[in-house]
Amino acid sequence: MFAMIQAGSMGVPYVPVIGLVGSNVLDNRDDMIIQPDPFDPSHSSVVARAYRPDVALLHGLKADRHGNVFLGRESDDVLLAEASRLVIVTVESIVDRLDDAEMMRALPSILVDTIVETTYGAHPAGCPGAYPADAGHMARYLEAARDDASFHDYLRETVIEVPNHDAYVESFVPAEWKNSLATAHRSESGRPA
Amino acid sequence: MEEFPGDRPSIRVRSPGLMARSYSDTELLAVLLSREVRDGETSACGALSMIPAAALLLARAHHAPSAEVIILGSPAFFPFPTSRQFHYLAQRGDLDLFFVSGVQIDRRANYNLHQIGGERDRPQIRFPGGYGGGMIYYVARRSIIFRTEHTRRTFVEQVDFISAKGSTPPETLRLGAPSKVITPMATLRINRDTKLLDLESVHAPHTPWDVAANTGFELVAADGRPAESAPATPPPTEDELKLLRGSVRETMITTGTYADWAEAHLGGGRQD
Repeated sequence: MFAMIQAGSMGVPYVPVIGLVGSNVLDNRDDMIIQPDPFDPSHSSVVARAYRPDVALLHGLKADRHGNVFLGRESDDVLLAEASRLVIVTVESIVDRLDDAEMMRALPSILVDTIVETTYGAHPAGCPGAYPADAGHMARYLEAARDDASFHDYLRETVIEVPNHDAYVESFVPAEWKNSLATAHRSESGRPA
Repeated sequence: MEEFPGDRPSIRVRSPGLMARSYSDTELLAVLLSREVRDGETSACGALSMIPAAALLLARAHHAPSAEVIILGSPAFFPFPTSRQFHYLAQRGDLDLFFVSGVQIDRRANYNLHQIGGERDRPQIRFPGGYGGGMIYYVARRSIIFRTEHTRRTFVEQVDFISAKGSTPPETLRLGAPSKVITPMATLRINRDTKLLDLESVHAPHTPWDVAANTGFELVAADGRPAESAPATPPPTEDELKLLRGSVRETMITTGTYADWAEAHLGGGRQD
């Protein structure tokens, strides 16, 4: 799958992959076939069709108003952004400008279609540089995922019946987090606490 | 084999295989895996691989000071910014040794990390899948399968789903292949001619009969002789255990490499 997205990011139609020959992963898939090496027909490998998602949904630390996104660390998300036709990035905060170090490692705005300021947008997963995964909530999610009925209850409570993101943050993000992140935000933008 | 306090010790006739061990199954596995790491080579382990991580660090401390070790998920021992650089290094043929585990393993060293039972589309149990294993198993120069249990439900005649294949036809582009399977009971080895797993050695206090009883396929010893003739595995030495419980455990804790696990399982904490 990774190689297929890489091929999508390169704009080429397919990519050779070493491995998977003889595995059941190839059954019932028409996007991976075995082909001889065109330069060395005595050897064959899997060739996978390039994958270009219609939409990529990414989350990052911050973006400037042009849509340059600092994801927080080097990430293969860049490949997803390159391969996908529509790129939507939620970020912890939108700022006036990224600093030089952040700009050097940013996802350039030319690849980004939409940015949305969504503090705690990764919750219950973590956002490197901002907050860790919420272990307690994850445990609850895993338990709920054991069967369809309990999972539907979980979805209803945390997604379907939640009116907006602010309400979600109010209900589900740990209180201690909200205090410390608020302080960090204020000091970044330079405004007094 | 516990003695009641106050009792006079009774005279017991013990065969060498029944002598009490001073190390846990976890420590045994870490030591045996560490012996597979060669100095100067590049060796790695994947996700959720605490025992191989300890083994890699033990190898460096014990006999392979120039070994390059790559531990996925460890901030101190993962040299790349993302995982793709690791996968591509392996695909270039620069990964000499990889430790991998599977839910099921069959006599051809195929392993299964995908699903068990039921129908292909509706399995009884579904696992996370092969991740990069479907590639790394074919490109690491040597893959060692490790398993923390040695049972018939693990070692089956044929896996329910082949996540990665032990051996492939000569025309298949492949840079390496599995070489051994190591469990708390025994070491199995791929026979180069038959491509089937043979019994290389048995770890005390277990016997070849224990191994046969817990393996879902027929086993012969490495040189074609009956399984009963398989030798005993050289047990962990004092040196290996001391390093594992000392500097390796310390390193894992201070570098945040499966720190909680190392604290609990390597000598200092509970035995399993």
